[in-house]
Amino acid sequence: MAAPDEIDLGRDRDLRGRDKDLWIRRSLFALIALIPLLALFNVFGQRPTTAKATVPAATLSVYAPTKLRGGLIWEARFHITAHQELKNAILRLGTGWAEGMSINTLEPSPTGEASHNGQLEFTLGHIPQNQSFILYMQFQVNPTNVGHRSRSTTLFDGDTEVAAVHQKVTVFP
Amino acid sequence: MDLAIRAIVLYAFVTILTRVVGRRELSSLQPFDLILLIVLGDSIQQGLTQDDYSVTGAAIVVGTIAVLQVATSYVSFRVPFLRPVLDGQPIVVVEDGKPIERNLHRERLSLEDLMEEARQQQIGSLDEVEWAVLETSGAISFLKKSGS
Repeated sequence: MAAPDEIDLGRDRDLRGRDKDLWIRRSLFALIALIPLLALFNVFGQRPTTAKATVPAATLSVYAPTKLRGGLIWEARFHITAHQELKNAILRLGTGWAEGMSINTLEPSPTGEASHNGQLEFTLGHIPQNQSFILYMQFQVNPTNVGHRSRSTTLFDGDTEVAAVHQKVTVFP
Repeated sequence: MDLAIRAIVLYAFVTILTRVVGRRELSSLQPFDLILLIVLGDSIQQGLTQDDYSVTGAAIVVGTIAVLQVATSYVSFRVPFLRPVLDGQPIVVVEDGKPIERNLHRERLSLEDLMEEARQQQIGSLDEVEWAVLETSGAISFLKKSGS
């Protein structure tokens, strides 16, 4: 009973020298299985996190994901709690916020919008003592925007810096 | 440029995936195997082109994958020692009418799967089979005994 042509009984029936193939396959499969496992632990985003800066005058809290993927729609929430009256609150966002992102909307609309050395500047106006102001911004990641960005958020009262939050954002392809 | 890069990365990923998941899933059409094949196509498309609906974008992606496909098959043809890595190797699963359990187990093939394949080739009993070989494509070739 001859084996079919091109079939090597040692290799194809007794699997001689092919034990390592199985382990290579299992190892590669383990690597593939690792991807969803890491995703469950938010390694690839987009679960939001809170970064906060508290000073006597106010608390600035930024609730937004720091890990994103191309095409994702996401929200950033800027929560300002005034411990003292802020006569003219201004939120200044570093370029990392807008670079390679579509800004779909922001609510409530600021009373003024400007650029300060390339940074976005939103004038929010008066915030009385012990009152809160929440600014919602909706973004979408441009699919070609990949890599790390530094993202800063600074709260001013007029020309005086009150609080700042610095974050790093990673955009996965 | 990023479309071509995405196509290259996903082609490599799917190539590894198809080699890793085993041949059974590639040729079998069991309900749970179909899930992988359907979801794979849909997910890959979204990751490839994302919001690019242009003809140019489609041409870049299809062109890149076609070039990679031809390049892979050319390498497999010209470089014999890479063939087992790229295409895999056949495995004998039946010899002289007797299933080889170790080899079936390795490929996650049950005796029922084997019999189903045999029936599809008008073989009612493994006693009629001299050799059955699980090919690199995932298909099983049955060579009947002379006189069967």
